[in-house]
Amino acid sequence: VLETLSLTDVSPPEIAVFVILALGTLGGALYTITRRNPVTAVMSLVATFFALAALYATLDAHFVAVLQVLVYAGAIMVLFIFVVMILNREEVQPISFKGIVTRALGVMAVAYISYLGAWVVWSQRAQKGSAIASLLNSGSAAPPVGYGTVSGVGMSMFREFVFPFEAISLLLLVAIVGGLIVSRSAHQTELAEERARHIEEVRAKAGPEIKLLPGGEPAEGADDAHAAAGHH
Amino acid sequence: MPVYAYLLLSFVLFLIGTSGVILRRNALIVLMSIELQLNAGNLAFLSFARAPGDQKGNVFTFFVIALAAAEAAVGLAILVGIFRTRQTANLDEITLMKR
Repeated sequence: VLETLSLTDVSPPEIAVFVILALGTLGGALYTITRRNPVTAVMSLVATFFALAALYATLDAHFVAVLQVLVYAGAIMVLFIFVVMILNREEVQPISFKGIVTRALGVMAVAYISYLGAWVVWSQRAQKGSAIASLLNSGSAAPPVGYGTVSGVGMSMFREFVFPFEAISLLLLVAIVGGLIVSRSAHQTELAEERARHIEEVRAKAGPEIKLLPGGEPAEGADDAHAAAGHH
Repeated sequence: MPVYAYLLLSFVLFLIGTSGVILRRNALIVLMSIELQLNAGNLAFLSFARAPGDQKGNVFTFFVIALAAAEAAVGLAILVGIFRTRQTANLDEITLMKR
């Protein structure tokens, strides 16, 4: 069996670790999409991300494994927990039965595509001597020195991918601003508009020279200027 | 472990994530399923990067993680905004743009 799976040069502990982590990942993912309670779903998703981080570490991607724990299991999941606390609704019917035929067709289509992809990988793997097969069966050889470390990935990122890196920073800025604007309540928008109108009124009354405090009130000494402008 | 084992795992993970997106009606769970799909893509990137020892796959995974963070922030903000105005997170009831 080990011969056909090309696992002859893989140590048994390595196989055991992979199987445990893979089962943890799949189990966590299945648990996530079947839970009715959103908090349980988020928690099992955190477990899935931890198992995935360990899988990334077995792929010698140490930097990405740390990022996975920090960004996904840390930041993004905290965001999800916060939103769960805001919404806090138990679902009566977690699975949607509206248009269930179309949905079932969609799931079957995706299952078929996944099956095709897996079948391609599996059959290409068995072709002895081809380049793809040797790529698919490789993985036990040690990677080059510095592979997957912060310095190695950083070298690649800041030499070849500087522009995408800067573009990503712009994307994050847009996401921050967009998140603030979208999640703003109507009341806050009204308050801000009122403040802006107030500032405009004061400005129109006082002329262009007046200095305003951030709240829209005239700065100290501005009253005199106001009066002077009025008498003028 | 050989690359194909990671690839098969990535296919199954993507299938689970997509099933969640299609079948669930809670918008929060749908967003979580999208995160699962992105992670399946990350796993494929990293397994393909590992065999030739090419760092580019790791850089791309970094970009995907940043993208997922942005997507989660905006998606959850939209969700909160919808919940404020319509008092629901049920995707079957959010049909304003259908009509």
